Amino acid sequence: MNVLIEVISPEFLLRDAFYTSIVVGLACPVIGVFLVLRRMVFMGVALPQISSTGVALALSLHSFGHIHLEHGAFETHSLAFVGSLVFSILAVTVLAFLERRRVAWNEARVGALYVLSIAASLLLLAKCPTAERGWLNLFKGEIIAISNSDLKITFGAFAGVLFLLWLFRKEIILVSYDRELAMTLRKQVFGWDLLLYLLIGLAISVAVIAVGPLVTFGFLLLPPLAVRPFAGTMRQFVVAASVLGGLTAVVGFVLAYHWDLPVGPTDVALLGAVCVLGNGAHWLRSRAFSSS
Amino acid sequence: MSAKPLTIPSSTWARLRDVAVGYEGNAVLRALTLELPCRSFTAMVGDNGSGKTTLLKTLAGILPPVSGRVELSEVNNAPPVLGYVPQRGGLDSLWPLSAFEVALMGTYGRLGPGRGAGEPQRQFARECLAQSGAADFEHKAFSVLSGGQKQRVLIARALATQPDVLLLDEPTAGIDPETTIAVMEMLSRLHRENQLTILMVNHDLPLARKHATAVLQVGDGKVSFEEISAPA
Repeated sequence: MNVLIEVISPEFLLRDAFYTSIVVGLACPVIGVFLVLRRMVFMGVALPQISSTGVALALSLHSFGHIHLEHGAFETHSLAFVGSLVFSILAVTVLAFLERRRVAWNEARVGALYVLSIAASLLLLAKCPTAERGWLNLFKGEIIAISNSDLKITFGAFAGVLFLLWLFRKEIILVSYDRELAMTLRKQVFGWDLLLYLLIGLAISVAVIAVGPLVTFGFLLLPPLAVRPFAGTMRQFVVAASVLGGLTAVVGFVLAYHWDLPVGPTDVALLGAVCVLGNGAHWLRSRAFSSS
Repeated sequence: MSAKPLTIPSSTWARLRDVAVGYEGNAVLRALTLELPCRSFTAMVGDNGSGKTTLLKTLAGILPPVSGRVELSEVNNAPPVLGYVPQRGGLDSLWPLSAFEVALMGTYGRLGPGRGAGEPQRQFARECLAQSGAADFEHKAFSVLSGGQKQRVLIARALATQPDVLLLDEPTAGIDPETTIAVMEMLSRLHRENQLTILMVNHDLPLARKHATAVLQVGDGKVSFEEISAPA
């Protein structure tokens, strides 16, 4: 209890990391709901990885002196953000075009992008120890070094993404659930798909910079998977996934601080436990109903 | 939309001129030239794989024609509103949507981007559910409904578009005989009372002949149109 009081205190030294973790925990599951419902879970794995390759490229270019910056850490961070954003947006745009052309083996292409992006990251960083250290910290989900400017960028970007998702929820749900109906209603299916993908890409690139690919993927997919069996409507699904993500971010941070563990893996392990418990409870309830 | 609205006789809602339909450039049906009359209840019948659904989707603007032109008659100087009822198996049961939420989607065609469905649209969706006999289960999850119940909800959704033409893809496939009769009678009533133009894909010729006013026979790469003077 003392740890919890210490963590939520405004004077807490790591408060920016704590608040960022909560923002990511609340917002990522809302985006993840669409990845799960559109059966694009693999894209949820691949995009954070591709995004982190953009970070690796940006850090390497900086370390090798191809890009010169004036103010050290803050500028390096901005550069990493640009790398992450460019790679995410490029990847989702390519995938949107492939989907529009109904190219076969789209899943295989996402898989190929995933494995190639890991290889590219490792090769880029192999000769650059400084960049490799920064990238590995990001990869492991070491989120304690988050600054106040990171928090502001993360909060602003997610607020924008969630507002647009809410504003155009009718169109996005329609083209995602029944694109044939959307076409007969003369909706711009490709345009709405592209908007959704760009929002997903922006959210993922921001989250990857803030908390790394592991935590991003965990918060994108595990909360929706945990609450789906209990949700009767879209509103319930989105709200429950978001609340679970936010709560896990708080509890995970407190546990990691208390036991001196890395925050990212603690969050993901906690989400995994909730997911197993939730789906197990649903399975037991289904069996009880079917046998009675 | 591949189907372009043009000025064609008011007695016709769709005209095909030397059209080939198919997927990704591969034609399933070729050299189709036909006119579909307004206020008709046309049943499109034929064997599995004969191209019925492909032709329906081409008329609906979901698939572009491989070649030729599909012309749709304008209604009040605007493209006709098409109420489309897909095969219900194509809708993903993972989505947590109630029957009411599914029916409400029909109203989205008349709403601009970023405009949510208000009380008038919600009330209209409820009326459409009542008209198709689905009011009793509007709060249930769509994914847990029986085949016949889902079909009623999808017909309600199509009605919620306020359609000029109702297009249905195998609305009675996989449902029990009693529900099949109920669905067909509901469609006959909608056609009779609302003067609604209906084009329905069906593989059951005797059933189609009993309810429809015209039959579009699809088979062996050809299409033949036959008007039935008085349905039984």
